[in-house]
Amino acid sequence: MTRALSKHDPAKKWSGPTRPYDLIKEFVIALVVVAILAGGLAAVFSSPDDPALTLKSWSTADPADFVQTSVGELAGTTTSAGYGAPYNTAAEGQVLGPLKLQKWAGVRIPINPAKDFVISPLLILPDAAVKQAVNEWNVATADAQTKWATAYADALAKSPKSTSLDDAAGAYGPVPTITTALLNMAQTGALDGALTTSDTPLPTNFTKPMLFIADSGTYFPDLASAQHLSGDQWGVMNETGSWPGQSWLWLFSFFYQVEPFKSSENADTQVMSLLGLLTLLLMFLPLIPLLRRIPYRIPIHRLIWRDWYRRKKA
Amino acid sequence: MHLLSIDLNHPAHYLHFGVVSISAGNLIMITSIVVLFVLALALPFPNHHDDEGSHK
Repeated sequence: MTRALSKHDPAKKWSGPTRPYDLIKEFVIALVVVAILAGGLAAVFSSPDDPALTLKSWSTADPADFVQTSVGELAGTTTSAGYGAPYNTAAEGQVLGPLKLQKWAGVRIPINPAKDFVISPLLILPDAAVKQAVNEWNVATADAQTKWATAYADALAKSPKSTSLDDAAGAYGPVPTITTALLNMAQTGALDGALTTSDTPLPTNFTKPMLFIADSGTYFPDLASAQHLSGDQWGVMNETGSWPGQSWLWLFSFFYQVEPFKSSENADTQVMSLLGLLTLLLMFLPLIPLLRRIPYRIPIHRLIWRDWYRRKKA
Repeated sequence: MHLLSIDLNHPAHYLHFGVVSISAGNLIMITSIVVLFVLALALPFPNHHDDEGSHK
């Protein structure tokens, strides 16, 4: 045991070649070079300054899409309404084989889109007609609510430019009044304030407006596609405008572009698991047969230390 | 300094090779990184020959 340790003892004094190395000097040079590069490039190229998307900008630019999405929230047909954990229990969510990872994480940020995005914000409006419509919605059965919202959603789908439709047959209940009031509220900017301050006194929590905007049928996806920010456009590694983006995420982005991940409903867990596995392979490379022979086949270290190897050979 | 500034607030130019879609900005960055790596391998260390290989 003692003999084996003495042969491979990492604490044993190094008897090979040495060279002086001033770590502080290297650190200072690196700091100065990086500071000059960062300051210089920022001065010349500035930084991305696309204005943030808000409920106000969305409802102003595409009011019909805003109303259709609002009706979808009431009908429970939007992405956030059927997302599952951490917002609700509407779906099982992402799984990895038998592992129900998203479901097991639990509902940590409970959100009811119909109530949180549409009904509750309207309660702050001092409008008797709106209060009556909200009250009519609240006392109705779930079946009646779904029937009203679905009927109005179907009617709006046939008239995609409209933001409000007459209810001659009385099939939509209070839904047109509710969505029209919500549209007006959003266009003033009041809905952004209501959603960002619904859980905290200061407007610091953007979870609800972001989920609402992400439910958009055309406005948000079209903007993302135009900037090449969608998942199927390598969007993870892209930036708005012409700036370079997160190019170091190229491998992460790559797997989303190819099968079987591209069409998988569980692509997120599959890709992250695969990258975790590749990271483990890299970490334990010296212990993995065949892979640990790569430096012998591709001896880049000999190129770096070519002077030493040349002298050793001589 | 304003005269030196370059406005990048316009749609990026994208290059497509099969499933690969990459912006000109990202391509420039990745190419620069690869070039720097190759230069770091190829260029000799500055004036360390006297010290290198000395044995304590």
